[in-house]
Amino acid sequence: MTEELPTWSEFIGAWELFADPVLCATAAGAVLGLLGVHIVLRRMVFVAATLSQTSGLGVALAFYAGIHLGFELDPLVGAIAASMLAAGLASLDPRRLRMGRDSMLAMLWLFAGGAALMVGDRISQEAQDINGILFGTAVLVRPQDLSAVLWVGGICSALVLWARRGIVFAGFDPDGARVQGLPVRVLDLGLLLAITLMVAVSTRALGALPVFAFSVLPAIAALLAVRHLAGALPLAALLGALAGGLGYLIAFFFSFPVGASQTVVAVAFVMLALPVRLVRGSE
Amino acid sequence: MSAALLRCQDLVVGYAGRGVLPPITMQVLEGEFWVVVGRNGSGKTTWFRTLLGLLRPVSGEIHWPTPRPNLAYVPQRSAFDELYPLPALDVVRMGAERGLSFLRPGGGQVQAARQALEEVDALPLAARTFRSLSEGQKQRVLLARMIAGQARLALLDEPTAAMDAVAEEEAMAMLDQLRRKHGMAVVVVSHHLPVALRHADRLLFLDPEAGVEVGTPEQVRQSEAWSARYGVHGHD
Repeated sequence: MTEELPTWSEFIGAWELFADPVLCATAAGAVLGLLGVHIVLRRMVFVAATLSQTSGLGVALAFYAGIHLGFELDPLVGAIAASMLAAGLASLDPRRLRMGRDSMLAMLWLFAGGAALMVGDRISQEAQDINGILFGTAVLVRPQDLSAVLWVGGICSALVLWARRGIVFAGFDPDGARVQGLPVRVLDLGLLLAITLMVAVSTRALGALPVFAFSVLPAIAALLAVRHLAGALPLAALLGALAGGLGYLIAFFFSFPVGASQTVVAVAFVMLALPVRLVRGSE
Repeated sequence: MSAALLRCQDLVVGYAGRGVLPPITMQVLEGEFWVVVGRNGSGKTTWFRTLLGLLRPVSGEIHWPTPRPNLAYVPQRSAFDELYPLPALDVVRMGAERGLSFLRPGGGQVQAARQALEEVDALPLAARTFRSLSEGQKQRVLLARMIAGQARLALLDEPTAAMDAVAEEEAMAMLDQLRRKHGMAVVVVSHHLPVALRHADRLLFLDPEAGVEVGTPEQVRQSEAWSARYGVHGHD
């Protein structure tokens, strides 16, 4: 027997319930889409993956501490603390250890993923489903998590847009920027901080998988679809917002996990952008 | 007498506290055209990056006048990240950024950048992405960036490395012309001696074994270090 799919009228009827998660995913998608252009251009894709994974571990550890250690820690604080620690490690120069940055990030990513699953094994039956943290199966979003995404997202995107010319100059020609007196190190660290905070608060609300997807896929699609960076930034934000909102709708109507659905929608944007680039040529 | 824009006093450059060249003493005056010559691996880029503050000197001093003159730096072409889909106009506008100027609205820079592109006959390239341009076109855009930045001292690291002989001569001639028109001093690293000798009014010859020589092209070519490396009449 085929299960009957939900209808639009059911969705609209329960809008009060869905408004917060849709708004949260849309806002996080837009801000991460915007930041994602810098992530992709600076070849920081693996940094974004590691940050979202360690944020997930931070959330899991916070639950574990509350349940088993009697130590109440807001999962949002856990996500921010873990991702800041990972960002700090990622910004170290691993060449002293004769190690490439990608090796160090892979180690962090694998540790965070494995540890999150191990911690999740101890908490899943009592409180939280670790899949919700890592893969974004959570349907609902707490008001305080929505509020954190909106505030952090608003501030981060405003700062990154304000300093856009400096961030781009420092990424395109770092030595030229240094010679002309731009604070390249501050810009690099500021961008990393903005990405870390946004990834942490979004992971707490939505899960690691969709957050990683929003951090890279809308940007890749936008950079494929348009000729210039000035067009890629707003387009990536728009595609990120659409991936968040549309992904939620598809998950609702076809009973898919939310995070997976949002990720697949973001991948679809890349697939749609590919022929645009092929037709337009490689400029 | 022209003012000194930059002075090196017994400057030793190198890595990890170890010098790769003998001490260098020299000064760059307004409007001069300097060419830094030496073989591959002779320390030209190390000297250049030390001058610009990108590497620490092993010993010696670098003096800048106060206020420090506007600098323009054109790194080796591999230093640009061509993943960035930037139109040539935006690359030129970067020349006008100083310190925290990127935080101010930059509408006024557009006209100056277009004028700079026009001056190097590259205005039709304004909307093209930098990465899609030929090496010669990229050099024009980078020269426009120097003009837009109102540089008094331009430092170029092997700007013609990927060009054929004709394009290289054209680029150097344009650089020379801009230098005269805008009164800027130019320091160019090059390993192509004939072109360098044609345009330079001052030479810095670097060689880890033969030594360091500073002076007019004629003076440097008569030096022992030059003779040791190229022979008495080398590279006429």
